[in-house]
Amino acid sequence: MSKTIRIAGAQGFYGDSPLGAMQIAMQGEADYLMHDALAELTLSILQKDKIKDPTMGYARDIEVHARTLYPIAFSKGIKIVTNSGGLNPESAAQKVKAILEKSGIKGIKIATITGDDCVTRLEEFKEKGLLLENLDSNEPYPAKYPVTHANVYTGAQAVKDALDQGANLILAGRVADPCLALGIMAHEYGWKIEDASTQEDWDRLAFGITIGHILECGGQASGGNAYSEWPMNYSVSDLGYPIAHVNEDCTAILTKAQHTGGKVSRNTIREQLVYEIHDPTNYITPDVVVDLSNIKLEDVEENRVSLSGIKGKPRPEKLKLVMGQHEGFVTEQFFFFSYPYTYDKVQMFIKAVKETWAKLPVQILESRFNIIGVNGLHEDAVDIPPAEELNQRSELGLRIALKHKDDRTGKTAIAGITCLGLNGPPGVISVPGWGNMNRAMLSLWPTLIPRELIKQEINFVEL
Amino acid sequence: MATIKLIDIASARSGDKNNVCNIGVMAKSREDFETLKKYLTSDIVKAHFRGLIKGKVERFEWDALESLNFVCHEALDGGASRSLRMDTLGKNFSSHLLRLELEIQQ
Repeated sequence: MSKTIRIAGAQGFYGDSPLGAMQIAMQGEADYLMHDALAELTLSILQKDKIKDPTMGYARDIEVHARTLYPIAFSKGIKIVTNSGGLNPESAAQKVKAILEKSGIKGIKIATITGDDCVTRLEEFKEKGLLLENLDSNEPYPAKYPVTHANVYTGAQAVKDALDQGANLILAGRVADPCLALGIMAHEYGWKIEDASTQEDWDRLAFGITIGHILECGGQASGGNAYSEWPMNYSVSDLGYPIAHVNEDCTAILTKAQHTGGKVSRNTIREQLVYEIHDPTNYITPDVVVDLSNIKLEDVEENRVSLSGIKGKPRPEKLKLVMGQHEGFVTEQFFFFSYPYTYDKVQMFIKAVKETWAKLPVQILESRFNIIGVNGLHEDAVDIPPAEELNQRSELGLRIALKHKDDRTGKTAIAGITCLGLNGPPGVISVPGWGNMNRAMLSLWPTLIPRELIKQEINFVEL
Repeated sequence: MATIKLIDIASARSGDKNNVCNIGVMAKSREDFETLKKYLTSDIVKAHFRGLIKGKVERFEWDALESLNFVCHEALDGGASRSLRMDTLGKNFSSHLLRLELEIQQ
């Protein structure tokens, strides 16, 4: 009988609620908690924090977790694997250590995984003759804008190694989300990662990645955000986060914590499987290329789904590097308009805004006007009802968004139209605090680099 | 000929990868999956979004999950943090697609 390991998808994004993870820990329903905190843009947010304060640059939920979740988890022997270290895993480890020390916690080994951050190595790459061609367009990297971050999606080897060396908590940088789960399984079952060489090895790695992919978005696998279960006849305020009971023979049961809301069904798992996957026969990760085309997914009983049938292929030759480029800024503002003449007033307002901007000394690169409740979300993909109908609406909203090069333009452009509250159509409401002033406008530059250039590094902090 | 609503035979979920948006469309039954395979083409999906998808739309068939996956290139106004859209991540590409009506032969 092979050993069953229970891994929970405890966090789906930076800012997720810790309550689902706490319930799993309190009920002792997992051996490992996997926390994914890094979406594509999160590193740009963390870079801003780090520029302001060099000790920051990690996902700050770990400070809350260190006070609330980690003590419960450690008391139950549960280990935690996360990429919340972001751009500063060492600093994250010091912060967590300080918080845990205050609670009198001892005998804990915190591992950091670094080596993915290349923001200071771009010159070196250039000297080596790398053109850093764009993965989508093949254009060589123009180095036109300031770089906000540059991180390589790294694999599961360091997660396995850190656990092999006794880590209770891993705070990693940009380890690819699903590799967090794979590293746990490779540690428990002694699977080969870097030295994988047989079909059996690749199938195991592919299975680990698939489990990681199902868990990486937290509640989205266990009944959240689910059209397939609409009208969602279960509670979502206490949604149970997903848990995978995995076996060494590459089969798993997917479930969720007891006494929770949400639902785990073939449908909810299917929805998470298609999420952010492109070609299901070639899901590319740092450690293996996954073929999900023959996956077997079956409802076994309520809230229990079985999974098997995952195949793997050798890993890609290169690793993905994503750079953030600071191109400028985005500013947005919201206004509301009431019946009567609802739509005509919106149109009059838009015209006045455009005329005002034309007279101001501002350079607006692009602007957008969305009518909330009409074409806010779908823009040109939907029809706008006739003006007579929209004039009968009891209210309409207007969102104005603009792109600009410098951080003064947004303020000037919005200040310049504020007078329309008195000078414009009757009854305009602007909502202070809504919208965004000077949000950084970033473009991501994805490229591939030789894997030899990247070496994961593990360090330990003990208490 | 008959008209069927996509929402009656499928559910959908969409997500972002830089300027690419993928929409997974999951049939409610095997039979519905056959209908999707036959009638829900890349061209129909691209046309339904009018100008929002600037690049090509690739379609992958996922038989084991009775699903189609549409990978829409240049679909997110430059990608989440360059975009002037409200739905920067294309989370509602799924919702909009479910509004589609398909003409099928009976």
